[in-house]
Amino acid sequence: MRKTVLTSMLLMALHGAAQNPVIRNQFTADPTARVFNNKIYLYPSHDINEPDPAPEGMRKDWFCMADYHVFSSENLTDWTDHGIIITQNKVPWVQPDSYSMWAPDCVYKDGKYYFYFPSTPKGGRGFAIGVATADNPEGPFTCEPEPIKGVSGIDPCVLVDDDGQAYIYWSGMGIRGAKLKSNMKEIDGEMQEIAFPQRPGNNAPAGSMKVAGHNMEGLPDGFKEGPFAFKRGDWYYLTFPWVRGDTSNGQNPTETLAYSMSKSPLGPWEFKGIIMAEHANKCWTNHHSLVEYKGQWYLFYHHNDLSLQNDKRRSVCIDKVSFNADGTIKEVLPTMRGVGINQATEKIEIDRFSTASVGVSTQYVDTTNCMLGSCVTLPSKGSWMKYNDVDFSCITDGYVIISAKANANTEFCIRENNAKGKVLARVKMTVLNEQGRFRRDMSGQWMTLTTPLEYTPKGVANVVITCEDKEVTVDWLLFKNRPKYFKPSFDASTPATPDEQGFIRRWLLLEPIKQDIRSNVVFTNTWLREAFAKTYFKNQMDILPKNGQKVKSGQQTLAWHALESENYNIKLFRFAERWGQQTYGSLFWAVTIIDCDEDIPNVRLAVGSNGASMWWLNGEEALLLEGDRRMVEDDGVSPRLTLKKGRNILRGAVINGPGLSDMCIRFIDEKGNPVKNYSIKAQ
Amino acid sequence: MKTTYLIGLSIIFSHLSFSPVRAQSGAPYIHDPSTLAECDGKYYTFGTGGGGIITDDGWSWHGGAERPGGGAAPDVLKIGDRYLVIYGATGGGLGGGHNGRILTMWNKTLDPKSPDFKYTEAIEVAASDGMEDQDAIDPGLLLDPTTGRLWASYGTYFGTIRLIELDPKTGARVKGNKEKDIAIDCEATDLIYRDGWYYLLGTHGTCCDGVNSTYNIVVGRSKKVTGPYIDNVGRDMFHGGGKMVIAAGDRVCGPGHFGRTIIDEGVEIMSCHYEADFNQGGRSVLGIRPLLWKNGWPYAGERFKEGTYEIESQRRGYALELTVDFVRMQQERAAWFRAEDQQKPVVPVANQKLEDVISTWPTGEIPVRTSDYMFRPHQRWTITAVPEAGGYLSNPYFKITIAGTNRALAATASKDVTTVPEFTGADEQLWRIEQLTDGTFRIMPKVIPGMEGINKKFCLYSIADSTPTLAEYDFQSDNSKWAFRNH
Repeated sequence: MRKTVLTSMLLMALHGAAQNPVIRNQFTADPTARVFNNKIYLYPSHDINEPDPAPEGMRKDWFCMADYHVFSSENLTDWTDHGIIITQNKVPWVQPDSYSMWAPDCVYKDGKYYFYFPSTPKGGRGFAIGVATADNPEGPFTCEPEPIKGVSGIDPCVLVDDDGQAYIYWSGMGIRGAKLKSNMKEIDGEMQEIAFPQRPGNNAPAGSMKVAGHNMEGLPDGFKEGPFAFKRGDWYYLTFPWVRGDTSNGQNPTETLAYSMSKSPLGPWEFKGIIMAEHANKCWTNHHSLVEYKGQWYLFYHHNDLSLQNDKRRSVCIDKVSFNADGTIKEVLPTMRGVGINQATEKIEIDRFSTASVGVSTQYVDTTNCMLGSCVTLPSKGSWMKYNDVDFSCITDGYVIISAKANANTEFCIRENNAKGKVLARVKMTVLNEQGRFRRDMSGQWMTLTTPLEYTPKGVANVVITCEDKEVTVDWLLFKNRPKYFKPSFDASTPATPDEQGFIRRWLLLEPIKQDIRSNVVFTNTWLREAFAKTYFKNQMDILPKNGQKVKSGQQTLAWHALESENYNIKLFRFAERWGQQTYGSLFWAVTIIDCDEDIPNVRLAVGSNGASMWWLNGEEALLLEGDRRMVEDDGVSPRLTLKKGRNILRGAVINGPGLSDMCIRFIDEKGNPVKNYSIKAQ
Repeated sequence: MKTTYLIGLSIIFSHLSFSPVRAQSGAPYIHDPSTLAECDGKYYTFGTGGGGIITDDGWSWHGGAERPGGGAAPDVLKIGDRYLVIYGATGGGLGGGHNGRILTMWNKTLDPKSPDFKYTEAIEVAASDGMEDQDAIDPGLLLDPTTGRLWASYGTYFGTIRLIELDPKTGARVKGNKEKDIAIDCEATDLIYRDGWYYLLGTHGTCCDGVNSTYNIVVGRSKKVTGPYIDNVGRDMFHGGGKMVIAAGDRVCGPGHFGRTIIDEGVEIMSCHYEADFNQGGRSVLGIRPLLWKNGWPYAGERFKEGTYEIESQRRGYALELTVDFVRMQQERAAWFRAEDQQKPVVPVANQKLEDVISTWPTGEIPVRTSDYMFRPHQRWTITAVPEAGGYLSNPYFKITIAGTNRALAATASKDVTTVPEFTGADEQLWRIEQLTDGTFRIMPKVIPGMEGINKKFCLYSIADSTPTLAEYDFQSDNSKWAFRNH
C-alpha cells in the first residue's frame, strides 16, 4: 500500500533572514541543500522540545525530531516554509512516537524526487533508512512501506553521478557507501555478514547482521558521521563531521567538518583536512552540505544559536565556501552575518554583524527566549560594527528606523563601508529630556528612533554603526522611503487641469514665513485680518513668481517653488519640512493661475485649510477661513464669483501654529459640484 | 482676597441660576475614556494615564480601575470570557515626536480585587515611525458581529486614521495585514456596526482647552469595514467629512472619545468625556447619553430632564392619568350669530387647577388609566430625580408624582401600576427612565413587590388603549413606549 503522508501544505514566507541562523521561527538541523528548478531547497531535520508528557523512556534534553519540513529560496534571504512533508506516525515502518527522524537527503533522478531519511524501525532498535518519492521537490511525498534492506544506520546521502549511477552513503559502524539500483530504493550488490560486539552501556547482546556496501577507506580515525558526498569537476568529495580531539582523560571534544577526496565515487579516499573547526561554544554536533548556486559554493551547517541551554536544538546557518586551484576546500569561519543581500527596506537584524571593533558584544534580547534574537552593544565612543551587503537601490528619499537603547543620552552614526565612511544618518538618542514637558525616563528601554538620511549609498553597500558618545545597544534597523508629497517642479508650458474631483494641485508655494504662534487660540477674525493685511514681502499681492525666485521677508530669504501635489490636498507641513526653515508657526503664501476659455459665472472658491487662511481672486478678497481650522473638503466657500475668460490669478495665505498644515482648494458650482473646465498654469 | 470673593460669588450664582444636576454622580473624572465594559455587574472605563473609574450601579462612579503601561486613550472589549485592552503607549506629539505604538493585552477580569486580575504582557500591534503622516495613538476596537473579525482604528490629527485587523484569539496583528488609511482630520476614533453598516466615529475640533474646547464627535458610514466612510452629504471622511453626533450644550462642552454600549434591544447609550463640565468646575468628566438612530445615522439623545410632563403612550397616544372623575370646566360661550357676543373682548380661559379638583379625588390609592390628554391636573406628572436611591447607566432613579402633590406612581405585586398618596422612597415608587433608539422612552419600576432583585425586564406597558400595566419590555411593540411632553 502506498500512502501519501503529506499532512500539511501550509506555506509560510519567512522574510529577510539574510543572516545566520536562516530560519528563526523553529529549530532546523542537519541541512541538506539542493538546487532544483533554479531554486535552493533546504531539507533539514526538525529539532523540537520534548513533548509533554514525554513518552516513556525518552532521554531528556536529547535529540527529538518528529517530522520534516522543506524550505525554498531564490536568493538565500527570503525562505518559504512549505510545511511538513513527512511525519513519524504516518510512515508505515517507523516506530510510532520514537522522535528519531534524523538527518535526511533529497535527490532528483529521471523526473522524480527521492527523499531519504533515517528513523527507528517498528519494534526494532537502532536505525533504518527509508525512501519517499514525489513529483515535486516540496512533495507530496509517498513513503515506501519498508526501509532499504541492508542499510542500518543514519545520515543518508545520495550522489547521482554524471552517468546516472546513484550511490548511497550513510553512517553506521563507520561511514559506508554502496551502489543504488536504478529504482533508487534498493542496494545494488552483495550483503556482508558483519559481526558486532556488545557495546558498553548497551543491553543488546553481541551478534551479527547482513549489511550492504562497504566501509569507506582512507578516512581519518576518530568519530565520524553525517557523510555528504558531491562531485566537482572530476573530483569526488566525501565530507563528514569528525571528532579530531583527544577523547581520553574524560575530555569531550566536539565535531569539526572534515573532508576527503577521490577520483572514484566509493573511494578509496585521501583525507584533506578541515572545512570548519569545532564550534566555539561547544555545540557538540555539526552537520552540513555543500552546494553550488548561481556560480557560488555555499556551506550549509548548523549551530545552536537559538538554544544556548541545549545543544540538541539547532539552527541552520550558511556561509560562502571556496576551493583552491588543486580542488581542496578553503576552511570556512562561521559568521553571524551569513550570506545574501538585504534590501535596505527589510527589517535587518543588524546585530548579526560581519566584523566589529574590539569590545563590541552581542547578547540575547531576552535570554529566556532566544528566538527573539540578539542585540549588539557598542561600548564607547569610537567603537563600531559593520554589516555587509545591504542594497540601497530601492531608496530614493529615505529615512532610517532603528531600535536602540542606552542608559544615558548619546549619539551614534550610520555610515557607509567603514568607521570613517560617509554618514547616512546621525542619530541623537535622548533617553531623558530634562526640559521636556512630558518628561519620561527611557534609559535602558528600547526606543524606536527615526532619522532622515543625509546621504544614500548607491547600490549594495556595507552599513557601519559607529558610537559617537556613550554606550549604545542596537537591535534592528530598516530604511524607508518617505512618501512622495510633491513632484518637485513641473513644466510650466504644459497646463494642468484640476483633478477628477476638481482640486487644484499645481501651485507656486513660498517657503514659510516664521510666525510666533504657539497655539491657534489667537485666531479670531480681527487678529487674522490684521495678520493677513501685513506686508511680509515686496509685491506680496501682485507678484507672479517664477520657480526659484527669491523674496526677502524680514530676516528671511525665501524661495518660491513650483510644485505639483501628489495628493488632492497640498501638504504644506511636508513642504515646510523639506524646503522651509520651520514647520510649526508658519505663514504660507500660494499662487496659481487659472486659464478659462470663456467666462464661468456663479462659481464659488471652496477651501479647506489647516489652520486659518485667506484667499484673493484677481486681487479681490474671496474668502477668509477663520478660527482654529482643520482641513475639511469644502469647509468654507466664497460668495458667487466669475472666473473670467483668459487668465485668473488665485492667491492665498495659510497660517498655522502647531499641527500638520495642509489645504485643499477647488471651485464648485451653485449645487456644490466641482467645476473643472479650466486649465492651471501657475507660472 | 479678590479671588476668594469671585469664587464665592460664582458658587452662589451657579446655585441660583443653573441646574445642579451633574453629568454623572460620584467622581466621574476621566479623560479619553474607553468604551464601557461590564464585569461582574459593574461597569469600568479606563482613561489616559493608567487608571480608570468604576460604577456599581451605573450612575455613581469612583476610582480604582487599574491599567498598567501608562500612555493614552485605551479601549476595552470583552471577547469570550476575557477582556482585551488596547492603548497607545506613546505618541500624540507628547514630547514632540509622532512615534507611536499601539499595544494590546488581556485580563480575565477588570476587578483589581479578583485573584484572577492579571494583565498579560502587552504586545505591539501597530506603530508610527515619526516620519509618516500618522501618529499611532487613540485606538478603538470593533469585533464584527457578522464575521467575528477584530478591527482597530487609530490615529490623530497628525495625518490619517488607520484601520488594522487583529486576531481575536491572541489580540495580535493578523499576519500580513496591511494598515489602511480611512480618515483624516479627527482623532479618538471608534468603529461600530449596525444593520449592515459600519460606522466610523471620530472626534473633531480642539481638545484639552478646558471650557474653550470645541471637541465634538462626528460620524461617517460604509458598507465595508475598510471604508470608504462617507458622511450624510456624500463626503469621504478621508477628505475631512463627518456628520455631527454630539457637540457642546447643557453646560458641558468638548465631547470626545465615543463608545457605544447596547443595554437591550433598542436601548443604547454612548459614552464620552466632556472636556469641561461647567457644573463641576470645568473638569473633564465622563458623559453618558442615550444613543439614538434616525435614517441609519446615530446621534446623541438628551439627558433626561426633570420637569412636569404628559406621559403619552405610544400605543394610541393617550395620556397616563389618575382614574378619577372627569371634572368639567365651566365656560362662558360666545355665540357666533349673536352680534353683541362678537363685540366682547377675548379673555383667555384659565387652566384647570389642582385645587379645583383635588377634593373630588379619593385620598387612598388611586389606580391609573390612559385617556385623551386634556392637560388637566390628574394628567400632569412631575418627574424628579431621587439621587440617594442610586441609578442605572445614564440616570438616577426618578419619582413620578402628580404635579403639586406627593401622590406617586408605584408598581404593585400584581404587576400593575397604581398611585400611592405619599411618596415614601420605597423601591416600587422609583422609576428608571431610558430613551430608546427611536427617541421614545421606556419606563421601568426599580422593583416589583414580591419579585427579587432589581427589575430589568418589566416596563410600563399599554395592554389596551386605556389600560397601563407592567409587562415584559418589547422594543418591537409601541405598547412598551412612552413620550414625555410638556404642553
